Amino acid sequence: MRRSPLHDRHVALGAKLSEFGGWEMPLEYPGGVLKEHAAVREAVGAFDVSHLGKVRLRGPGAAELVNRTLTNDLGRIEPGQAQYTLCCDASGGIVDDLIAYLHGDDHVLLVPNAANAAEVARRLAEAAPAEVEVTDEHEEWAVLAVQGPRSDAVLERLGLPTGHGYMSFATPSYDGAEVVVCRTGYTGERGYELLVSSAGAGPLWDALLAAGEEVRPCGLGARDTLRTEMGYPLHGQDISLDVTPVQARLGWAVGWSKEAFWGKEALTAERAEGPARVLRGLVAQGRGIPRPGMRVLLTADVPVGEVTSGTFAPTLRKGVGLALLAEQVAEGAEVTVDVRGRREVFVVTRPPFVPAHVREG
Amino acid sequence: MYPEELKYTSEHEWVRTPGGAEGSVRVGITHYAQEALGDIVFVSLPEVGDEVEAGSAVGELESTKSVSDVYVPVSGKVVARNEQLDSSPELVNSDPYGEGWLFDLEPTDAAAVDGLMSASEYQATLD
Repeated sequence: MRRSPLHDRHVALGAKLSEFGGWEMPLEYPGGVLKEHAAVREAVGAFDVSHLGKVRLRGPGAAELVNRTLTNDLGRIEPGQAQYTLCCDASGGIVDDLIAYLHGDDHVLLVPNAANAAEVARRLAEAAPAEVEVTDEHEEWAVLAVQGPRSDAVLERLGLPTGHGYMSFATPSYDGAEVVVCRTGYTGERGYELLVSSAGAGPLWDALLAAGEEVRPCGLGARDTLRTEMGYPLHGQDISLDVTPVQARLGWAVGWSKEAFWGKEALTAERAEGPARVLRGLVAQGRGIPRPGMRVLLTADVPVGEVTSGTFAPTLRKGVGLALLAEQVAEGAEVTVDVRGRREVFVVTRPPFVPAHVREG
Repeated sequence: MYPEELKYTSEHEWVRTPGGAEGSVRVGITHYAQEALGDIVFVSLPEVGDEVEAGSAVGELESTKSVSDVYVPVSGKVVARNEQLDSSPELVNSDPYGEGWLFDLEPTDAAAVDGLMSASEYQATLD
């Protein structure tokens, strides 16, 4: 199993570790998921998400290659900005969802999910013209996420830039190492993701935790409860090769008017026809907590889909989830979920389940 | 971590004699179990008056990430349950041998408790 350059630090902090996408990463630290979740919603938390992939494209036409393969329209952003985009296959199924950092026409850095990074790199390398070099830099870079309303104060203590626009990035140096500081995240709070060389990751992590402002180290457990409260999909759970952006309601991340992108034909047809199933949010009316794989039924015992993500939402103190549901099950509908033989009532609700603060300030 | 005066099961539960009343025993989960589960957010317990059989699942402990069954350590009748856990499930994490107890039961056969593991026997199963 692959390990983060911060592995020894996590062990020293007493973290519980868990396998994720082929990487052994911190699941939670002493104190537990609920405290970590609250820290991000109310103050600030630091996550090691170095398992995320890093695929670099360099050379004349690098941005053009990304634009004619991945779904989103890179023309919507300027160099110095990042964009959420999707890598689809010809049938429209989602190979991965990822963030594209546009450095310039000849330089794009992609941050795919850990488990899919090699496949995304392979597909792009196959499509790349000779002048564009696609390199999988998975283990060369660490990714630290600083998330929460007080994240600006933490970065300022370290002399790092803050306050740039949502989804834009700066490239300062810290302690001699180049850092990409991007206003992105997976929690719904104001925050930043820091890309730093693996060698520079340790000093930066130590400085973040020592910055005062009560920065709490947070693991993938809290990352999951935070993202589920926002209704952000997770690849491998809510979206996959079997799910299209049209079904996942990710059409906003597709540049429909672009000349080409992988899956365009299939997705355009599905969009025109309307998807047979849709990824929707569920909020518990009682004590039930939905979990992936549970059946969703209309009250009249008609199966209408399956839960893809679900958890106890610490902010709401009730169960929330995402489910792939038959298209005709609309928002506001009451459904039941088979929770280990019990019939628990949920209302189909448009995420986010708690207000997002990513764009504030 | 594992009080000497308690008896233990391989399902990571403890049994204390007596429970809240004479003739009953108290049941909870061990430090190891609460640590493995993580933050507990929902507890469901058997009803008072239920006749329950050793080894059967009669409730659930749900954490932020998973669900685990509550098992019956020895057969008997449920005579009390910890109603506080309805609003404060975190007590199972913070005080598993005290305020985080789960339920009291009157064993059908009081001697059945003696057949459970001692603290040192239980700890040996964790190594």
